[in-house]
Amino acid sequence: MAARGHVQDPNDRRLRPIYDYLDNGNNKMAIQQADKLLKKHKDLHCAKVLKAIGLQRTGKQDEAFTLAQEVATLEPTDDNSLQALTILYREMHRPELVTKLYEAAVKKVPLSEEYHSHLFMAYARVGEYKKMQQAGMALYKIVPKNPYYFWSVMSLVMQAISAQDEKLAQTMFLPLAERMVEKMVKEEKIEAEAEVQLYFMILERLGKCEEALEVIRGPLGEKLTSELQSRESKCMMLYQRLQRWPEGNALASKLLLKNPDDWQFYSCYFDSLFHLIDQSWTEEGEGFHLAMTFVEDRIKAEDQKETRQLRGPYLGRLELIHRLRERGCPEEAQLGEPWDLMTQYFSQFGDKPCCITDLKLYLHLMPPEQHLKFIRGLGEAVPLGGESEEEGGSVFPEDTKALQRHLCVCQLSRALGLHHALSPEGKLRVIRDLKAHYHHGLKFGEESMAWQGIGLLQEGLSHSPSNAQFKLLLLLLYCHLGAFEPVVDLYSSLDAKHVQHDTIGYLLTRYAEPLGQFAAASQSCNFTLRFFHSNQKDTSEYIIQAYKYGAFEKIPEFIALRSRLNQSLHFAQVRTERMLLDLFLEADIVLSLEESVKSMSLTPEEDDIPWDTLRDNRDLTVLTSWDPRDRWEHRRASMEEECLWLRMRSLTLRLLAALTALGRAHQQQNSLGSENGVGDKASVAARLFSQLEQALQSAACLSEKRSQYPFLGPPSTRLAAALACGSCQCQTSALQLTVHLQELETMGLDESTELQTRICNTFKSLVIQLQEMSNKCNGDLLEMKDSRLKTQPSLLENLVFFLETMSVVLWVASQCAKVIRPLKASLQKKKKKKKDTNTATPAVVCGFQVLTGGLQEVLSQVLEHIKTQELGLTALKLASLTLEPHTQEEESFIRAGMDKVHSSYLRSLQELGDLLKRRAETLKTLKI
Amino acid sequence: MTTLRAFTCSLTVPQYGIPFYLQYLAHWPEYFIVAEAPGGELMGYIMGKAEGSVAREDWHGHVTALSVAPEFRRLGLAAKLMDMLEEISERKGGFFVDLFVRVSNQVAVSMYKQLGYSVYRTVIEYYSASNGDPDEDAYDMRKALSRDTEKRSIIPLPHPVRPEDIE
Repeated sequence: MAARGHVQDPNDRRLRPIYDYLDNGNNKMAIQQADKLLKKHKDLHCAKVLKAIGLQRTGKQDEAFTLAQEVATLEPTDDNSLQALTILYREMHRPELVTKLYEAAVKKVPLSEEYHSHLFMAYARVGEYKKMQQAGMALYKIVPKNPYYFWSVMSLVMQAISAQDEKLAQTMFLPLAERMVEKMVKEEKIEAEAEVQLYFMILERLGKCEEALEVIRGPLGEKLTSELQSRESKCMMLYQRLQRWPEGNALASKLLLKNPDDWQFYSCYFDSLFHLIDQSWTEEGEGFHLAMTFVEDRIKAEDQKETRQLRGPYLGRLELIHRLRERGCPEEAQLGEPWDLMTQYFSQFGDKPCCITDLKLYLHLMPPEQHLKFIRGLGEAVPLGGESEEEGGSVFPEDTKALQRHLCVCQLSRALGLHHALSPEGKLRVIRDLKAHYHHGLKFGEESMAWQGIGLLQEGLSHSPSNAQFKLLLLLLYCHLGAFEPVVDLYSSLDAKHVQHDTIGYLLTRYAEPLGQFAAASQSCNFTLRFFHSNQKDTSEYIIQAYKYGAFEKIPEFIALRSRLNQSLHFAQVRTERMLLDLFLEADIVLSLEESVKSMSLTPEEDDIPWDTLRDNRDLTVLTSWDPRDRWEHRRASMEEECLWLRMRSLTLRLLAALTALGRAHQQQNSLGSENGVGDKASVAARLFSQLEQALQSAACLSEKRSQYPFLGPPSTRLAAALACGSCQCQTSALQLTVHLQELETMGLDESTELQTRICNTFKSLVIQLQEMSNKCNGDLLEMKDSRLKTQPSLLENLVFFLETMSVVLWVASQCAKVIRPLKASLQKKKKKKKDTNTATPAVVCGFQVLTGGLQEVLSQVLEHIKTQELGLTALKLASLTLEPHTQEEESFIRAGMDKVHSSYLRSLQELGDLLKRRAETLKTLKI
Repeated sequence: MTTLRAFTCSLTVPQYGIPFYLQYLAHWPEYFIVAEAPGGELMGYIMGKAEGSVAREDWHGHVTALSVAPEFRRLGLAAKLMDMLEEISERKGGFFVDLFVRVSNQVAVSMYKQLGYSVYRTVIEYYSASNGDPDEDAYDMRKALSRDTEKRSIIPLPHPVRPEDIE
């Protein structure tokens, strides 16, 4: 920021120290220096803005904003002030104010290229495409430079892309953009490659393929030089869209002769040729012959090469067989037997790790009865090396190439579904064994096997400390045992970066809070949100860069990336869970519920989740799985479940916000005498509640037909457990009181007998439901039984549900007190006036006392239970456990795993106990 | 056998932060190429830029990142991608292509040597650890392009330089 051109300007010299302080992060000194300067030079506006930057960075946002607006209303035109304000507004996340700033500046200095260009960029930052179009043209009129003209054209294209109405795009924005470019073409003013790119984009979007082809093949196309094969790829795409098969085939063939390894052109070649046959350009037999000769010629050329052979031609042959077979052509037999060709392929490329991904595509060409023969044949075709017979008849691969071939054979037999016992032991075997063990362990619910799985994975990790699969499997296994503590280190050692917060973050956020590790949950939410927020800001900057450098094709891509992140399911979940978590941790403990809700700017009316466009960005393939076939089905089911759970959580959150509006509505009513606000609030709460009820119903249906995901499939949500322990039902009953209380508020106490009875019934039912939830927490988390260590992680989850539900009930109760207190006072006043001698306490007040008494009792029970569990766990002597026979090393890894689970349980219990104790404190103050 | 195509944002690689990629895509989209396997798996990518000045005769292509997934190594993919980056730099009239590599990364250094690159200079403590402490020196390796007929751009410097001395 300190880099200013004109050192001669005395103002620059005066401002310099402030810039330096700000650059060095010394905000306090910057503010002082600015104050000093402002004493002498009152109208040095920039100093004010720099002071505002200092204030903003020291957390004084309001002051900073007021100061900035003082300068902004003067509509400054000096470069220093404008740039400083731009920086300040960006830090305030108020990019729309920058546009106002420069709108004023260009009005005062209408011929400034610089300010007009800043204005254009300011519009770009907020995505005002129409204004960008105008700003671009205004610029071009002042300074007739081509880029400005094309900025304007691109902004028209962006209006087309963002238009809700495709017709408007096709009949207005794009044709206008086309005419603007045509004008430049006619006047022979096209200069840059970017301009031709943009022309092509427009024609393509208009579906004018003929015209586009003409441009690409003509003199304008010659400008497309930066990107390799840019003209060829574009031509190929257009030939396909135009169904110009002869030209398409000729081009594909030409490109394959040049590079017989470029896979995309094989499918272009076959596609076009088969179309030619279908349209009788070529006689069928002749056409197939042509294709076969073409592929075999490529193979011959490859066979004769001394140096590294390319895989393309050989795979091309398999692809051709696949396509001929799809058409039912007997000619495929002339190319050879698939199993034989694949065996040959293996002997050539079996030592490359990619051999399996290549062949996997064509395994279906072999009938099942050939599978075994094929796999056996591979061993014969290429001996795995190593003659040394170990005990038990195992053969070790001799070198890495043999090892790789061996792995490939194992992978192929897996992929073919042959669970073969052919593998000797080797390094690679460790991985498979571990997985097999652990799979086995889970399938049969045998917990000792799960411990063994943990032991083996921990051992594997000690040998290969950076193996991500080991870590991920361990992570999952610990989570299933209810232990989140070891996961924190595992996940951080995975070094998940950037976009992975979106794609694999679900592994973390799914388990942290539900397993009672609230501090860790907070932290992981923060990481994730930081990622999402910073990317929102950054993307806008690079859209501007793309305009500057004429990378027009990238602009829609950047915008799509931004939406992809903004619409991420995970983002919405973390936003919602973060707020709920904050409430569980702090509301009515550190701050009042009302203050907490206010500090999060949470309102019942506002739904910030883009339900219709939510995207599932989770990487569900991050764990290598043997059976990828069901993954799509699981993903769909999982997405449905996730959305429903998110809906319930988000509605809970908004109803809690509505709850805090209760007390306020009462105050408003008293002071302003207006009932409009109250009525609206009531209807919002009622609407939200009926949505929650609906969601609860759908949840009940869903959980009945719920499919179990495989262990390596998507994690299931908390929905089923929340229903089973009664948490959803109890929270819903509590939240219904929000609606009832609003009614009570308007009715008063003397004329609401029926309503009061209903409220009292709900009070009673809440105590009963919480008591049942508390019963479901009973039992031992960790138990030693005849040399076995038994875990019951669901008890831990139930405790967390209890905490959440108890918090919700307490918040509702506290709002009840707030609503009833003034009603009771006014009732007493009325009675006094009327000299009414009926001194009976209103039903709802009695009911409330019963409620608080009941809550007190349940809460003490649970606290007692947690204390007992903590004592029990501490006294548990894991070392005295006799394990099934293992080697000493194996045993030490298993024991280490057990210790980790043990320690994690203790921490969860402690965090839960602390929070519940603080909730119990708030219960004491609940009085009417 | 590979499909080589321009990098698009729908593909997201986690190696660097998103802004880092966007910066390159906005400025030098042609220098960003990905390789895809027939099954659609991401095999690897190269990312680079053009920089320097023609007047000073140091206008050149720079390799910012070259990455090949483990299961697609030893197929000559890195060489192919480097070849493409050199071709793009040729077309832009660059004098040479350069890259930085950790001095300890012997595998990479010898691969680049095989591809015709030579050490032009050593940059002291070019790499830093995540805590900001200096970590390791880099080799600045170069390969002359056809425009530099006398291969003047790759004559090795006699002394190592510091990171602040390079552009």
